[in-house]
Amino acid sequence: MIDPITLQQGTDWRAQAEVFDEIFFVFLTLGTVVGIIVVSYTLWNVYKYRDDGGEPDKDFDAPVVGELPTGQGGPKAKKLFLSFGLSAIVVISLVVYSYGLLLYVEDGPDTDEEGDIEITVEGYQFGWEYMYPNGHSETNELVVPADQRIDLKVTSTDVWHNFGSSELRIKTDAIPGETSETWFSVSSEEVEEQGGEATYRVECFELCGSGHSAMKGQITVLPEDEWEEWYADTEGSEDENSSNVEGDLATPSVTGSAVGGVSA
Amino acid sequence: MSELPPTTSVRRWLVTTNHKDIGILYLITALFFLLFGGVLALLIRVQLWDPSNQVLSGLAYNEAVTAHGMIMVFWFLSPFAFAFANYVVPLQIGADDLAFPRLNALSYWLYLFSGVLLAISFFQGGTLTAGWTMYAPLNVPMYTPSIGSTGAILALTMFIVGVTASTVNFLTSIHHSRAEGMGIMDMPLFTWSILATVWMMLFAFAALLGALLILGSDRVLGSVYFSATEGGSLLWGHLWWFFGHPEVYIVFFPALGVMLELFQTFSGRRLVGRKWVIIAICLIAVQSFLVWMHHMFLTTINLEIKTLMMATTIGISLPFDLIVFSLIYTLMKGRIQFTTPFLFAFGALLLFILGGITGVFLGAIILDYEFRGTYWVVAHFHYVMFGGATALVGAIYYWFPKMTGKMYDEFLGKLHFAAFFIGFNAVYFSMFLAWETPRRVFEYDPALQIFHQAGTIGAFILGFSFLIMFYNLGKSYVSGPVVGENPWDYSRTAEWAVPSPPPLENWPNRPSYASGKLEFVKDYVPDGGPAVKADENGNAVTDGGDSHADHIREYAHWDKHPSHASIWPFTLSLMLGVMLLGLSGFNDSISIGVADSLATTPVTISNPVYPALTVLGLLGLVYSGVMWGFEDFYAPPTEFAERWPFNGVEKVKLGMWFFLASDVLVFGAFISAAVFIRYNAGWQEWSPLTESLPGLINTFVLLTSSFTVILALVAAHRNSRKGLLASLGATIALGLTFLAIKMWEWHHEIYDVGVTIAENSHGDPIQASIYYVTTGLHGVHVVGGLLIAGFLFYRAYHGAYLEDERPVEYFGLYWHFVDIVWVFLFPLFYLF
Repeated sequence: MIDPITLQQGTDWRAQAEVFDEIFFVFLTLGTVVGIIVVSYTLWNVYKYRDDGGEPDKDFDAPVVGELPTGQGGPKAKKLFLSFGLSAIVVISLVVYSYGLLLYVEDGPDTDEEGDIEITVEGYQFGWEYMYPNGHSETNELVVPADQRIDLKVTSTDVWHNFGSSELRIKTDAIPGETSETWFSVSSEEVEEQGGEATYRVECFELCGSGHSAMKGQITVLPEDEWEEWYADTEGSEDENSSNVEGDLATPSVTGSAVGGVSA
Repeated sequence: MSELPPTTSVRRWLVTTNHKDIGILYLITALFFLLFGGVLALLIRVQLWDPSNQVLSGLAYNEAVTAHGMIMVFWFLSPFAFAFANYVVPLQIGADDLAFPRLNALSYWLYLFSGVLLAISFFQGGTLTAGWTMYAPLNVPMYTPSIGSTGAILALTMFIVGVTASTVNFLTSIHHSRAEGMGIMDMPLFTWSILATVWMMLFAFAALLGALLILGSDRVLGSVYFSATEGGSLLWGHLWWFFGHPEVYIVFFPALGVMLELFQTFSGRRLVGRKWVIIAICLIAVQSFLVWMHHMFLTTINLEIKTLMMATTIGISLPFDLIVFSLIYTLMKGRIQFTTPFLFAFGALLLFILGGITGVFLGAIILDYEFRGTYWVVAHFHYVMFGGATALVGAIYYWFPKMTGKMYDEFLGKLHFAAFFIGFNAVYFSMFLAWETPRRVFEYDPALQIFHQAGTIGAFILGFSFLIMFYNLGKSYVSGPVVGENPWDYSRTAEWAVPSPPPLENWPNRPSYASGKLEFVKDYVPDGGPAVKADENGNAVTDGGDSHADHIREYAHWDKHPSHASIWPFTLSLMLGVMLLGLSGFNDSISIGVADSLATTPVTISNPVYPALTVLGLLGLVYSGVMWGFEDFYAPPTEFAERWPFNGVEKVKLGMWFFLASDVLVFGAFISAAVFIRYNAGWQEWSPLTESLPGLINTFVLLTSSFTVILALVAAHRNSRKGLLASLGATIALGLTFLAIKMWEWHHEIYDVGVTIAENSHGDPIQASIYYVTTGLHGVHVVGGLLIAGFLFYRAYHGAYLEDERPVEYFGLYWHFVDIVWVFLFPLFYLF
């Protein structure tokens, strides 16, 4: 079933994973090409100008011990600046290109505000606590609907963690006293492909103590209607969790009322 | 001063201050730490063989990861490079030794004993487990409670004290002792790379020293900087990476210098675009301080700053492009000799190209978002830092004949290179393929197991390749063919113009490049005066204003032989090590009760060992320092030298300037920390903890003492012993007054108001921490100044400084600096 909100979003939705894959591909291709050219050119020249024991060229001006160092000018210097200029153009254009997409990722796609779901993520030694707008909280498993933009506000209650999911290509630092942000969305087609329930691994990407290796969680994406059913069921547990939420949160703004419309 | 014993005597190696001996000590010690860090690396690789392997527990794995990083970056890479810098730089610039030989020995011993402290920390309940980047607040005792964690942090602090001493020494030497005719642009590229390195070290390591002193205070004294939610974690991130990014170039530049030298030596061609390479090196050194937040793209810093940092990051890759192309084009049309040192230098270039390209990926913020904390980063920095160190391995082979007078075995050398290069790429390229693995994790995605297993095999090949090197060097040292001055066909630099190994004082006569090439000139030594320049006939010539009488006044001990031996650098370092070992467990051994005055405060000592070590070390430290001061040690300044841009500045004064510049950065770190935290807490939320009157009185007291120091200098200049004693005495009295007022103020705050280092009865605890720690650091500087002033007073009482008042002047520089710092602290803590 396609939700009207999804239709409004149009076709310019691009997940971070998609953006990353595109840029990574471009960088990887160019990097490989440049690397192969430079290295093979170098190897070829080193082979060509090896000392084969023969007579040196007439213009070979061997240095001697005790001379004050001087450089080499001439055609080689021209070549030096040409190569430098070329490489500068490649590097700068790559970065300018990627910067445009960065601005998109920073803001996230334009969506109907009503559709966004804001979830607070708290890292702790050694797990993740997810807090929903209705006050419900889950440990280690984040359950979200497909086709929605999910905004994550990430912080930590003890040491510096880093919340990330490689498959979704999202990542952000979880720092005590600070709140950082990231977002993601998974399409219903993707959920469909994974058999009606898409799961993604969450890992901690900053050393946080003895349990760092095992600090794993999961993001589960359900079709929207299933999720809404699930979310409605969590309402009952609001009372027991809400006090917990208020006690832990540094910023009370996360329980945005605009998002309430989703569960209604 | 004692005579220098022969090299066969163990005593020689304890007392030597000669740059070549110390270079060899550095080399052997650094190679030991390579093995130490390497074994830890192999432990990590064994754990990674299987995604569910548990050879080590989680905590033990973190210890291995942390210690591997710290040892390789601090105790291996830089000291390894400075082994060559010690040995070669004085030879390349035509100096007899470094500017301050005893200080050089001190740097080495601080390095060695700091490494011993780090090794001991493994047995103090386990060493640090917070990663080599020690992110806050994992680095505070609440999360890493072992005594060994504190031990490791204090070990690093001690290491950095040694680095600072070494930095001041190299800066002064290169800027003060270049042979006549060797302008700054005429220096060999290896020396250039070391010069750029030490300039970066001067500021970067000072910032780290500041950060570690604060962290040490959090761990030993109980302040609460890095656990504060008012920006404590980010503060650590900023301080760490302000040091950490220049550090990448600090470890890479010496290797780059080796590449630049070896590419020329083994191709017979001079460097293409030499001037531009030097400019690029200088640009990188400056820019390195403007990119640090690219390590923090995923924190809460805003997009504008991130964009700026991205631009500077990409900007810094461009000078490197130029250098890489210059290296490649230098080889062309040459006669390239594939000796072992060249193979390593050339291999380093190939590895660095790969490291550089993958670094551009990380420079694009959007890719960094994904690569952050993964094996992509691990692979990239190993290609850059260890790839660079590959050239330094070549440097061992290159300078081995110079250091030992024997030639290494070429076949074994090439075998080493082959195994090294294959192993290197197997272990680090596989990391690119397994890049989705989070760093410092051993339970990884089983789909990536094949890459991690390839990496483990590569790591063992890499480790094995070094056994070939040790065998080769050992065998060649004993029975290798003897070489003369210069075993290479196309070497140029001056170390190849003297015997292998060079004699103690390096040169047959004074080296000079005045004619455009190296010559050894015999100076005219008049009866009753220091050497002066001679013309071809051996008669004295003047060189414009540098008259004979000036020399006598300036160099009062002109007729003495240079000294080469002192035991005090060794004992001083040992004692500092003992003190820090004591401090590491101090907090756990002593508990201080609550009372209403200092006199009635109960102190319970649960374990007397650590406090005893602290006291013993402190006493030994002061004793060694005093003996150092009294030792008659003579390091002659180079008489005719190129000194741009410090012409006319005397050697010790120049050294003092450099030291104070680094101290500015240490205080800069403390003051930045205070401002950053207060900004995060809300600037207006805080008002001064204390009354402003004691601070105001103290400001006047200190400013007056600056005036009395000037009076002391004037009195010494006028040969007035009484005047000198009176002014020095007044300075000491004013300094003690300052401390007394400070003590009263602290006592009042602690016992009457209830503000201690970790508690604040009327506000954020962090505010109290900042107040005590920052003014405390200043207080320690005052105490240090008073100790020196007391020493000067004692010697002045016995008639010193009337002939040569310079020590009073240098003390004055330090004292003025301490006073100026207070002028900044006073408004920060007492007015606003």
